[in-house]
Amino acid sequence: MTDELLNHPGALTGDVRPTASYTLRVNGVERPVTDAWIGESLLYVLRERLGLAGAKDGCEQGECGACSVQVDGQLVNGCLVPAALAADSEIGTVEGLSGAGGASDVQQALADSGAVQCGYCTPGLAMAVHDLLQRNHRPGEVEARQALCGNLCRCTGYRGALAAVQAVADAREAALEAELDAAEQAAAAGPAAEQPAPAAAPPPQPDQGGELPLYADSELWHEADQLIPAQPQGETPRAGGYAYPPTPPHGTAVPADWQHGPAGTDPFGTAPAGTDPFGTATYQDAGAYDGTVYATDGYGAQYPGYDATPAHGIRLPEDENA
Amino acid sequence: MEHGGNLVNRTIMLPASVDEAVEALAATPGAVPVAGATDLMEAVNAGRLRPAALIGLGRITELRGWRYEDGGTAVLGAGLTHARMDRPDFAALIPALADAARTAGPPQVRNVGTLGGNIATAAPAGDTLPVLAALEATATLARAGAVRDVPVSHLLTGLDPLRPGELLTWVRVPLLHAPQVFLKSSGRSGPARAAASVALVLDPARRGVRCAVGAVAPVPLRPLEAESWVAGCIDWDARGAEGAVLIDPAALVAFGEYVAGACVPEGGAHGEGAGADAARLRRTVAVLARRALGRALK
Repeated sequence: MTDELLNHPGALTGDVRPTASYTLRVNGVERPVTDAWIGESLLYVLRERLGLAGAKDGCEQGECGACSVQVDGQLVNGCLVPAALAADSEIGTVEGLSGAGGASDVQQALADSGAVQCGYCTPGLAMAVHDLLQRNHRPGEVEARQALCGNLCRCTGYRGALAAVQAVADAREAALEAELDAAEQAAAAGPAAEQPAPAAAPPPQPDQGGELPLYADSELWHEADQLIPAQPQGETPRAGGYAYPPTPPHGTAVPADWQHGPAGTDPFGTAPAGTDPFGTATYQDAGAYDGTVYATDGYGAQYPGYDATPAHGIRLPEDENA
Repeated sequence: MEHGGNLVNRTIMLPASVDEAVEALAATPGAVPVAGATDLMEAVNAGRLRPAALIGLGRITELRGWRYEDGGTAVLGAGLTHARMDRPDFAALIPALADAARTAGPPQVRNVGTLGGNIATAAPAGDTLPVLAALEATATLARAGAVRDVPVSHLLTGLDPLRPGELLTWVRVPLLHAPQVFLKSSGRSGPARAAASVALVLDPARRGVRCAVGAVAPVPLRPLEAESWVAGCIDWDARGAEGAVLIDPAALVAFGEYVAGACVPEGGAHGEGAGADAARLRRTVAVLARRALGRALK
């Protein structure tokens, strides 16, 4: 027993910062971690030691879900996993969703359905949607809400995310059907048959399921018993039943009769008086802006061209917190 | 390193069996056993806890399932996750525990949070705790070379607490084959900390009703007088008959008031401040208890 105590790393030095070295398997790549304090969360190690900043640090209490990652295929809060105990587990982060730098279908659907404003919750939401669709290929509205209930979004709301769930489910089903059709035709027509272009299947109405998840069972919260009233259907009903056209990834479209300034690229800086499509002259005199900062050309040639973070992270210089 | 590489070093230990775990715990007195870590890491992140060493219990697969004993008892592993308890096969066994596990938190927490961790943490708002109190569950505590059984309620109240070097391994729960209800009131419709919760189980073999109120006190409370009183109001012989009314609705209401009065102390002057909070909590508990019994007897 005495030997055990003396051999304990903290026994002689009075060490209050016991450390451990281990190897994490992140997105299929082995990443060694040396001399890390044993209380470091998986989130901290991913972000600060391995350079994988996709998972965000929101509350450190497991309330917000911004740090959602997968450990051995289970969706967990990265901030609540001691990193040292995740050694030898398969860890999947949001960087692993996107294959060769491009967005995965889940990420693209989140962008297309306008589920992103400040974007802080988005990596966690992407992981939650990815995890949901791995387990359930056809989630209903209720199942989707239950799956996303651990991801808080304080600026955009959840409609975009729920629409994205349905969009991805529809797209994957359509792709699968097209593949099956192609295989059938190939089997029928012999090996020379051409594969038809996958036709987009009409989006089926989401299964409303009849009720919303009911966690609080008290008359204090009876309003949760009621379904959210249906949105009025527009001319372009989308998967999920929302009538609003999607916001394009680069922002909202400028009205067609908007006249740009002489350069054509500077809607805020030098627009001449009288071109305001909203009929007010309030905003025309915006000379304080030089116009280049908020250029809306989608970054075009000026985009500095940061490389996407590779799925296995980057090597960071030694940081003082490590 | 002496355990086939499962014990990484003396600050991080990953035992693969209960025996290895209790051995590691005996060898490293300051080590903290960790299952789902959802409560532990919250404390570590907030700076309230600096563990000297961690013993990860996630590799002990024997504790992640359950088995049956004597035909009438389910022996649940302490490593059973909330997500596992929520699944239909488990919900058919112990419905109230499944309901409590379902509402315990978001999927990210339920995927890792365990039954044993819920008991060991003994948070006032732990959702499975009132269910275990109502079921009169027993916990098995293992230490190097010895095992003892303690009622979960004794563990929670500190009457017979976890001793140094002991590890919570199994939880024995009677299989009652009768309706069970868990109801919870919280601040939002998503998963949240309970403001009050009520677990109620029927024990038709003994013609008993067992009820526990959670989150209103540091430990789950059992309104024993209300239980024995209401058990006498129930028409047990009519159970199962078509359209039978098992209990007078007025008795249901009275049961709710009885439970609330027993579990939530009078808050002094009504109308404002702490008195108003206590009155509101009483009303919540009364409604939960009334509904729980009503649903169990439906």
